[in-house]
Amino acid sequence: MARLRVPARGTTGGGSVSGASRLRLVLRDLAAGAAFASMAVSGQLPTWTLLLFGLALVSALMGWRIFARRTKATAAVLLGVAGVLVFSVYAGHVDLVVASCAFAGLIAGHRLLSMPEPRTDGQVHLAGLLMVAGGAALSGELAFALCLLAFGVLASLSMGLSVVEGAVPPGEPVPVRAVMRPLGSGIFFAVCGAAAFFLLFPRLNWNMAARRSAPGLGATTGLADTVRLGGEGTLKSNPRVVLRAQLTPDPVRERLDAYWLARTYDTFDGQEWTSIGQPKRTRPRVTLRHGGEHSIHQRIELLPAYGGTTLVALETPTRLGNALAHSATGSQRTPLTELGGGEVRFQVPAIAYSYEATSLPPEEDATTPMSEAERGQLLALPDRLDPRVAALAQRVLQGEKDPLAAARKLAAFLQREYTYTLELSGDVEEPLVDFLFVRKAGHCEHFATALTLLLRTQGISARLASGFFGGERVEDGYVVRAGDAHAWTHVLMPGRGFVTVDATPPANRASQSLAALEFLTGLYEALETRWRSTVVDFSLRDQLQLAQGLVRPPRGPRRDTTRLPPARIWGLAIAAGLVTYSVWQLLSRRSSSPKPHQATHLADAVERLLGEAGVRMREGEALEELTSRLTREQPTLAAPLVPLTRRYLEARFGQRPLQPGETERLLGPLRQVLQTRRAS
Amino acid sequence: MNPPVRALVAAPTVEAARQVMERIATHLSRVVQGKEAQARLTVTSVIAGGHVLLEDVPGVGKTTLAEALARACGLSFSRIQFTADLMPTDILGSQVFHAASATFTFRQGPIFRQLVLADELNRAPPRTQSALLEGMAHGQVSLDGATWPLPAPFTVVATQNPVDLTGTYPLPDSQLDRFLMRLSLGHPAPDVEARLLTTRGRTPPVETLEAVTGPEELLSLRAFAAGLRMDDAVAEYIVRLARATREHGDIERGASTRAVLAVGGAARAQALWEGRDFVTPGDVRAVLVPCLAHRLMLRSNVQGAAAREEASHLLEELARKVVAPR
Repeated sequence: MARLRVPARGTTGGGSVSGASRLRLVLRDLAAGAAFASMAVSGQLPTWTLLLFGLALVSALMGWRIFARRTKATAAVLLGVAGVLVFSVYAGHVDLVVASCAFAGLIAGHRLLSMPEPRTDGQVHLAGLLMVAGGAALSGELAFALCLLAFGVLASLSMGLSVVEGAVPPGEPVPVRAVMRPLGSGIFFAVCGAAAFFLLFPRLNWNMAARRSAPGLGATTGLADTVRLGGEGTLKSNPRVVLRAQLTPDPVRERLDAYWLARTYDTFDGQEWTSIGQPKRTRPRVTLRHGGEHSIHQRIELLPAYGGTTLVALETPTRLGNALAHSATGSQRTPLTELGGGEVRFQVPAIAYSYEATSLPPEEDATTPMSEAERGQLLALPDRLDPRVAALAQRVLQGEKDPLAAARKLAAFLQREYTYTLELSGDVEEPLVDFLFVRKAGHCEHFATALTLLLRTQGISARLASGFFGGERVEDGYVVRAGDAHAWTHVLMPGRGFVTVDATPPANRASQSLAALEFLTGLYEALETRWRSTVVDFSLRDQLQLAQGLVRPPRGPRRDTTRLPPARIWGLAIAAGLVTYSVWQLLSRRSSSPKPHQATHLADAVERLLGEAGVRMREGEALEELTSRLTREQPTLAAPLVPLTRRYLEARFGQRPLQPGETERLLGPLRQVLQTRRAS
Repeated sequence: MNPPVRALVAAPTVEAARQVMERIATHLSRVVQGKEAQARLTVTSVIAGGHVLLEDVPGVGKTTLAEALARACGLSFSRIQFTADLMPTDILGSQVFHAASATFTFRQGPIFRQLVLADELNRAPPRTQSALLEGMAHGQVSLDGATWPLPAPFTVVATQNPVDLTGTYPLPDSQLDRFLMRLSLGHPAPDVEARLLTTRGRTPPVETLEAVTGPEELLSLRAFAAGLRMDDAVAEYIVRLARATREHGDIERGASTRAVLAVGGAARAQALWEGRDFVTPGDVRAVLVPCLAHRLMLRSNVQGAAAREEASHLLEELARKVVAPR
């Protein structure tokens, strides 16, 4: 690769890049990086575009402007990339908005590697703005906000520096420090101002970004209509919280070994599971079966990391309802649709949901209403099932006829003889046969599928259930992580309904992420929740409530509906405002007062040395006048003082700055003379 | 003219400029002994492109200084003795009728020289004094609707006696403001006076002084001096000093903007003495009193020498109080 280090100021000349220019370019490149990251955090950009941009950014930061020489020729590369993206859109692999965003990022990458001149800088910043807009269209998450903030700060610093650089005549040093400090404080106050603007300016509540329902970085892909064996295994290590629930009665346990059911599947074609159930009615509340005495009430919140529209409830759900969809424009009620396989979905797409559910313990499910077709499907086998499967079931069961006992026997066999693994590569022709007789290793879907199919070969009705397993106590509720996604088997017991039997080894059922990662993700989740409730969902209604609360505090018993923070928060906010104001006053006073010139320190040092030696200055006497006086009165002192004063004057008024270490070199002779004087 | 000095015309350097100035000052000191400081300030003023007002009792060498300056600088010279009956045309010149050709021709007055000594300027009535004004300000003379340019460089050295004010016409403000510096020679020190007595015969007469530079080079030096660097802090310092004169309780009218420019110009030329191509606050203070003292109008009604002394004191006090950049 041809490495080309090019001068930053102007397009001509082969001089080295000045420190200010280098800093400006690094800031510019990092700003572009932040803008690209604002899109990348949505998790929707194709991986190869991430790699290409990352490569361009790293090269640019290293100063390798590899496209500087052949801008037009290298632009042809972009055409190729555009072609690939257009094809991806045409083939349905990539959404048009995502493709556009990815292309904007690649244009920025190309510009980063071009000759750094004012026009290129402008193009990079423009591309940055486009990318930030793209990021807003792809997701409105906290990570996006952080990237936006980083882009704003870095781009402002870079642009401010370039303005100053343009104003300084060529060849003269750019006062980087003098510029960066006021610029930095200016940006700080601009950010504070933007926050104040956000809180106070009336909200228009336009639905600018319908794509806000995008799941964001590290989200699950939701629960699909089908379960394909071998896919999504790596979810086990994802610690993002997808569900928060409050249970009544609360079992008060640190770990809740509960099954959170999302949907069930009854048809297996040898590769994937589907359900034959047809969509049923849409209504605000769905009753799946009759409740019993031991109902558990749940108030559930599905977080953006969930990314799906299927409701999840503790096994076995009886009623679901009172659903609210939380989107960028506020919260609204959403009707629910019941689909086949016991799946219930929200009708309104949103980034998060809350709803209520009641569930019965699985064993009490005697009343699952099912059509004949559905009932018959519970024994269906794939067309070409390997005869070894049925033989294996027969061999393990050894004549056991009771469905539950048979299921438990098979589950125990699977747990004993097979190993749990997430390292599964590629699709295989018959994943079940591959699991049972070749690899003898798989994850929950393999175990659950194997158990279900083994049971069916012996005439025992069973189906696959999917959702989450686990629940971890946080404060007074429970959270479920993306890594808790799980699949298990429902065995139909005549007269008792479906009973859950889990063939997966118990240690591998729940999330397997690292504790530290969980802690960090927990922090992020908390911030994101706060961001969503106070920023994304902060609507005109919230503003009005806030204003009303200030003008007329609510009387009587407080209601939970208000989002007004308590009085002490207001006190704190006012105190913080006062502190900010006084800091600003202090800073502006300090920045307006003249700062001592670099050379002034030399004059101060000389005066201090002379003062220690008993040489006093007269009122209003400057160093040059003192020196000319001492030239007459004390020639021994004048000898070291004359060159020193001359250099001081040059540095202070002649624009010939002191070099590093020069001050000490200049002061040396004077110190010596003064020491000799003292000794004599 | 010395060969290295001639080279200056093409590309002056600080050191070459300083050498020329030093030579002029040495020549002046040779004929006006014991007045080195004044000689240097006179040279400073000439390099800054300004006119000089010499104020002192008669017989201290004012005329000699002016003549010596003209000779050392290689400038054409004329001396005008201002008296109560002097008319403007006596200075500027007049239209003379030629009977033969029946035409008027302009006969140049004594002002058409590169260095004009206006001796005892305050003896002439204001109208005559003002005849000098246009020439000092614009380097030209207007008479009977026609304009004649004065030779360049054009410098006026005026003298006035601050003690014997009877029957004189104090210079109007507009006239005073045209002078870059007001200098006072004063009586020489006793030892200098004694030396004058003993060495009088050996002191070279003014007529024998050689030119150390010429008009062309002088113009080049003026342009060079005017281009010296002045830091913002120094410029701001000059302005602060000027504002301090305007706000001072004892001063009726402080320094004008033209006065501020005058201090800046003089300080630039002063920097050359130190071999510097930039101005320091010390340069400003060195020219502050000669540049400003005659431009201030004091509240006290003192006149002449007393007024000059008070103004100088006030300016020195301000120079001590106004904090210089450092």
